[in-house]
Amino acid sequence: MKRRILGTAVAILSGLTLFACGGKKEEAKTEAPANAQEKTDEKDTSAAEKTEASSDGLVYWSMWEATEPQGQVLKEAVEAFTAETGIPVDVQFKGRTGIREGLQPALDAGTNIDLFDEDIDRVNKTWGDYLLDLEELAKANDYEKTANAGLINACREVGGGTLKSIPYQPNVFAMFYNQEIFDKAGVKEVPKTWEELDAACAKIKEAGFTPITSDDAYILSNFGYHLSRINGYEKASEIVKEGKWDDPSVLEVAKAYEDFAKKGYFSEQIASNVWPAGQNQELALGTAAIYLNGSWLPNEVKDITGEDFSWGCFSYPAVKGGKDGVEASNYGAQVFAINKKSKKAEDAFKLIQFFTKGKFDEKLSQESLGIPADSDNKDWPKQLKNVRPVMEELKTRYPWAASAEDNVDMTPILKENFMKLCGGSITAEEFVANLKK
Amino acid sequence: MKKNSAMLIAFVSPAALFFIIIFLYPILRTLLMSFFRIEGVTDSFSKWQFVGFANYGKLLGTTLFRISMWNLFRIWLFGGLIVLSLALLFAVIITSGIRGRSFFRAMIYLPNIVSAVALATMWLQYVYSPKFGLLKSLFTFLHLPKLASIQWLSNDHKFMALLIAYCFGMVGYHMLIFSSGIERISSDYFEAATLDGANRIQQFQHITLPLLKGMFHTNITMWSVSSVGFFVWSQLFSTVTADTQTITPMVYMYMQIFGAGNSVTERNAGIGAAVGVLLSICVVIIFTVCNKLLQDKELEF
Repeated sequence: MKRRILGTAVAILSGLTLFACGGKKEEAKTEAPANAQEKTDEKDTSAAEKTEASSDGLVYWSMWEATEPQGQVLKEAVEAFTAETGIPVDVQFKGRTGIREGLQPALDAGTNIDLFDEDIDRVNKTWGDYLLDLEELAKANDYEKTANAGLINACREVGGGTLKSIPYQPNVFAMFYNQEIFDKAGVKEVPKTWEELDAACAKIKEAGFTPITSDDAYILSNFGYHLSRINGYEKASEIVKEGKWDDPSVLEVAKAYEDFAKKGYFSEQIASNVWPAGQNQELALGTAAIYLNGSWLPNEVKDITGEDFSWGCFSYPAVKGGKDGVEASNYGAQVFAINKKSKKAEDAFKLIQFFTKGKFDEKLSQESLGIPADSDNKDWPKQLKNVRPVMEELKTRYPWAASAEDNVDMTPILKENFMKLCGGSITAEEFVANLKK
Repeated sequence: MKKNSAMLIAFVSPAALFFIIIFLYPILRTLLMSFFRIEGVTDSFSKWQFVGFANYGKLLGTTLFRISMWNLFRIWLFGGLIVLSLALLFAVIITSGIRGRSFFRAMIYLPNIVSAVALATMWLQYVYSPKFGLLKSLFTFLHLPKLASIQWLSNDHKFMALLIAYCFGMVGYHMLIFSSGIERISSDYFEAATLDGANRIQQFQHITLPLLKGMFHTNITMWSVSSVGFFVWSQLFSTVTADTQTITPMVYMYMQIFGAGNSVTERNAGIGAAVGVLLSICVVIIFTVCNKLLQDKELEF
């Protein structure tokens, strides 16, 4: 019995000691919040110095997988960079989820990471506190001379007015279509208004093709775009975030899609398409004509479509009396950012330049069928030639899904009902009523 | 006695320390976190905002979380019934002296060693495909047009589709546990029962089942633990954005901690922690109920 008591006592004592140690550490931070940053900086500096002593190179956490075209080009670029500058680079391909889940804890733990990349919004909004201000480095290297001005502005906008990230692999979310189907159906001009889209879809259907398809992963963007076309992004986002489903514009969107569903413009499988069924089995195989997706789509389906697939692209159409028109879209880029605690910011910026300018930017564009970031790289992949006028016309930037996914607690409910609406199993009124439940 | 105490401390301390660091500290921290609003999961304590039970209140008042709990319950109950029934049936067949038992056992266990991603892709893009799927072809061949036209991945059928695919991969694991339990039962009992005139069904009912109580307990516990952690299949059946038919509390927790889909959404690791606490309570309840209902202490064989 005594032994049991002793054992328990030892366990409790050890636990309390450990907890107390943890507590003290937290207390120190709580006591002087003003000095907390300084203290953390000091701690990290010493950690960084230690790492620096063991290695002179850069540490780059990448959002790509090593096997993806982007990963392969970046790896090649890193090797060339090291050969040219003598600066070794430790590239760690973390993948999308790896970096999303692991970057912030790693930065908090003081892991030696000099630069990393991810989507423009996530880097600037979610990890904004960890970023180095790049204004001076960009100025000193005359970076903006050959950069895409619109994207640099977008980076400044999401960075709270200052440049904290450098864009590459620009993308736009727009209506991608099969030009061959448009030609066969006699659709000569790309639709710029909802009525024109209606007329184009009627011709496509008449020609024996499915006018529009989508997948569960992207379908909500249709709702978001339409809502934002009517209201502008800010109000659309407010409707979604605050659940203002009684707003007449919600019913207006639902009516527009109900009408298209009744006319048979959507794929018969639209209510059950789990990504990538719609993009692979319908659009890429040439049975469906239009799909609202990102400019990465041609790359994703290139093994199915082959070289000869003729890609077209147009901005989501304007709606009657709407606030926004075809000049507004979700566009952005992957961005590079430098850890504000990095001791090798200049080297890291050099590497970013190496990635985003000249030869390797061009190679990245060609290998991944992406848009070049360097404005001197004039040759876009042929699959994206029709994306260029859409990109050049854009003035207003919507975040991802243009408001439709702004409310984490509503996204799945909205998706379920929107898929049913497009599939024709519920009416516009039922759609709105279901959102209010 | 003094000497013994020192020895005791020396032997117990490492294990106790590891237990505290690896289990107790995270549990206590998670419990503590559930009472705070915390943006990033590794934010320092100074950034935590105390909210009391607000995280729990918000969870219980959120339709989507309630849907996720309902889905979890359905997976646990219906999936459990399907998986454990099939596992028991296969275990009985395989241990009955059937020819080629090793082959069948390996075949039934095979899905467990195939990656969930590969399995899910097979189900999603091939078996359930409304264009050229296995089910569509099968029902068309059988001249059952109504069944052939079912869109297995539409909202109305998606949960069932997910459950079938998940159960397919889980039967083998539980079958092995049951069959090891059956093999433990001495053949003397069955021989004696046969001599007494009991048929196979009576033997199963009066010998196998009662002596498998412990295995039921193990299987239900293992099934409950794996159900509570249901995540990968849900993600695979609804890539990028979650789905009302496939969302589970673990997916909801992920969305709260790391953000949902491709959007940058509000994060609150405190809510994530509260989900974790609620799930732990569920497991403890199931475990306690199982312990009460399936005590096999009175049986020794």
